[in-house]
Amino acid sequence: MSKEENEKLDIVIKSNSRDLLAFMKLVPNRKKKIEKASSEPIKSDPMNELAKRLHPRRQFLVISEIRDETKSAKTFRLEPHIGLRTKELAYFRPGQYLSLKVNVNGVEITRPYSIASSPKDAQNGFYEITIRKEEHGFLTQYIWDNWNVDTVLESSGPEGFFYYEPLRDLKQIVGISGGSGITPFRSMAKAIIEGIIDAKLIILYGSSEEDDIIYYDEFKELEKKYPDKLKVVNILSCEIISLEGCETGFITGEIIEKYCDVNNSTFFICGPQVMYDFVEKELKIFKLPHKRIRREAFGEIKNIINYPGFPKDVAEKTFKIKTHIGNIMKEIPARATESVLVAMERANLAPPSKCRSGECGFCRSLLISGKIYISPISDWRREADKKFNYFHPCYSFPISDLEVKVPRHTKK
Amino acid sequence: MNEQITEKNINESYDVVIIGAGNGGLVAAARLSMKGAKVLLLEQHNLPGGFASSFVRGRFEFETSLHELCDFGPSTNKGGVRILFEDKLNLDCEFLEVPEAFRLILTDPGENVDVVMPFGIENFLNAIEKEVPGCRESVKKFFDLGKDILNATSYIGASRGNPDQNVLLKEHANFLRTTAYTVDEVQDALNIPEKARKILNAYWVYLGIPTSRLNFTIYAVMVYLYIIRKAYIPKYRSHGYTTALDAKIREFGGKIEYNTRVTKILVENGKVVGVKTSNGDKIKTNYVICNASPTLAYNKLICPKSEVPEIAYKEVNARAHAVTSVVVYLGLDKSAEELDLKDYSYFVFNNMNTDELYNSLNELKAPKVQATICLNTAIPNCSPPGTCILSITTAFRPGVWDNVQPEEYVKVKNKIAEALINHFEIGTGISIREHIEEIEVATPQTFARFTGTYGGIVYGYEPDPWDSFIPRLMAMNDEKHIEGLEFCGGFGKRCHGYSSSLKDGETAGLLTLQDLIKKGLIK
Repeated sequence: MSKEENEKLDIVIKSNSRDLLAFMKLVPNRKKKIEKASSEPIKSDPMNELAKRLHPRRQFLVISEIRDETKSAKTFRLEPHIGLRTKELAYFRPGQYLSLKVNVNGVEITRPYSIASSPKDAQNGFYEITIRKEEHGFLTQYIWDNWNVDTVLESSGPEGFFYYEPLRDLKQIVGISGGSGITPFRSMAKAIIEGIIDAKLIILYGSSEEDDIIYYDEFKELEKKYPDKLKVVNILSCEIISLEGCETGFITGEIIEKYCDVNNSTFFICGPQVMYDFVEKELKIFKLPHKRIRREAFGEIKNIINYPGFPKDVAEKTFKIKTHIGNIMKEIPARATESVLVAMERANLAPPSKCRSGECGFCRSLLISGKIYISPISDWRREADKKFNYFHPCYSFPISDLEVKVPRHTKK
Repeated sequence: MNEQITEKNINESYDVVIIGAGNGGLVAAARLSMKGAKVLLLEQHNLPGGFASSFVRGRFEFETSLHELCDFGPSTNKGGVRILFEDKLNLDCEFLEVPEAFRLILTDPGENVDVVMPFGIENFLNAIEKEVPGCRESVKKFFDLGKDILNATSYIGASRGNPDQNVLLKEHANFLRTTAYTVDEVQDALNIPEKARKILNAYWVYLGIPTSRLNFTIYAVMVYLYIIRKAYIPKYRSHGYTTALDAKIREFGGKIEYNTRVTKILVENGKVVGVKTSNGDKIKTNYVICNASPTLAYNKLICPKSEVPEIAYKEVNARAHAVTSVVVYLGLDKSAEELDLKDYSYFVFNNMNTDELYNSLNELKAPKVQATICLNTAIPNCSPPGTCILSITTAFRPGVWDNVQPEEYVKVKNKIAEALINHFEIGTGISIREHIEEIEVATPQTFARFTGTYGGIVYGYEPDPWDSFIPRLMAMNDEKHIEGLEFCGGFGKRCHGYSSSLKDGETAGLLTLQDLIKKGLIK
């Protein structure tokens, strides 16, 4: 090898002839190597198996028990439907939800329900969800009329990011909840008691009447047994209260401060939209960093008219959506005040969806033409999706005629 | 009650069906549809990109797997990927320059290495000479060889795989003489001092095998391209350019179906005749470009099994599957400046004994290896003011995670994530743990879940000298066992990495196009 700097480099590794021979032999040696290898097919792929166990595309469940929790809330125990080849229930992180597919009088829709049971229960063969009947809810009415023991349900795997994360959250968790927003905290409480989560939980639970408090007796018992792990404070907005130890009114900053070490807690909020609006305002005074307040996705928007920037003049209108899904093209009607997803479900196009809160992106679709309204506070789209006109139909509202392309729902 | 609409299946026939919208599949689909072929691209996930994607948590949009794109280059010195994106495809996406080549931090006691290396050969040589006086000349030879090899591969490319032996001997002898060797063998011959080799070989993690086995040719070209053309990163994460590719394919008349997994490649008498999907489609085609690995194609997709020749199984079994990853994505609630995160790319290793480092990828605990990116130093506004994005990547050999059970999965991954965070904090002296606002930990399971890749593997096959890109290209025709089936992507002909996968997609598209033209199927 030359040591002169300007001379052309002429590298030799072993010797000129050996190096060239090594090159010439590259392919013949490769062939020899291959010829010597086993011809056994590879039959297993444990990582893809684990992925399927943790995140099954779907699970078939059968209702094994129904319990009345309050006059308007029922708990459904769900077990794997072995006959439909769901052998086990996917493990999950407390706070996650199942997206259940429900066929309501021939229209297929999905709904997310937080899992209310513990991960250990899933290992033992069941999930529990608790549903509160809404006054004019066509879905909950359907459920009350049609779900019985032995009813078969189709579910997603466990989904969502509303869970305690030890690398991020403080060991003192404060669960602020209202109405059926209590359900993920039952799962968390059980997981804490079972030692799956190493943290403490204080639940501030707002209800409008004593009769509406879900899991009252159960939580009372658990609190008594595990006073250092769990505390539940009921806050009632009604006037006459007979239960002991309740607070009255709403979940105010004052109540939060009374029961929690505000600066040494991570807050998890889950409840109806009005509660979020109220509690967020109350929490503001504590000037907590972003990371200390975790919010469960809102769920369906019911009052889009009140959202900032929503064009009120189209509120009464019904538009047309030219929908491409797989090889199908269908023109469907869509009310301005209902999400594009709901319009597609009404038309029985069975579009994909999971969180119904704009967050998970499973319904991500292409807006070919037309205008939609997306609330700026719940726009979880990727930057490039905004640029290339992708949108999440579950949190987007038609404000003109539209043409959209929607991905098909994965079947298997 | 509404009428029940049953979703119609796709049953048209296509010139080409492309399996998987990863880097390779997207480019192949774009190039073929641009040339007028009737193309159907099928992707099991609901997004384009495969590994080249992004996801949103809270206020942050994370880059899924790209650290820095090689061979993109500034507009004055365009690399192959920029030429492909800008000149050939006129893609609507923006790329930003990464500020420095890398910072290498070795944390074992006594190592005392913490260097920031710049782009540009001269700058790099000056910096390495400063660290290791007297190494300049030998390191320069390393880059000279990189240049020679690049010239040789361009020549081979231009000859369409039929290079003139005399020209090779006369003009590309350095290439010929080094191609059968490892990085260590060539660097021994170059007499590069040990400490300089530590710095020069920091990029080994991007190919994922120790320098005692890593083929010199591919490593030299990669390092040379990074240093002369700098590294780039898409402004809107990889989802930015993969979505732009998706738009291009549709603009060219190609069809893309998401949430549609190919379950079978139908073969008759050694020829591709169609594919079947998870949605019940049965599509006729004589050409399949497979962005999934040969491992999956031969072991799982090709139907009937009797159409898979014995030699195909042998090929898969002879090759070594490369690494999979764990990535800790962190959204921090302080800015990069506030945290004093000045650099973009941090290689934090215990030492530079790459055999020892590689062996550490074989246990279910935090490896001695991490490549960490602070996205904001290249894309300042990639997260809200007062925040920044840090992602820590490590690797695992396939199989290490195989026995992890669902109920212990989170504990296992969090323990590893925590150790990686600690290692970064020790290496840099920067405390990040208390600033975590969002965290997501991806594992081999996660990659298997979203891409379906065998074993959750992120890379491809290991580039030992016998299975590096030159022998793969030279053996290409001999190893084509099914007429009409072409592979592309990280398991393809150019080995793994973003730029290799993208260019391999182009090659696969071109080879298929040539065949279509030869058969008179398109003009």
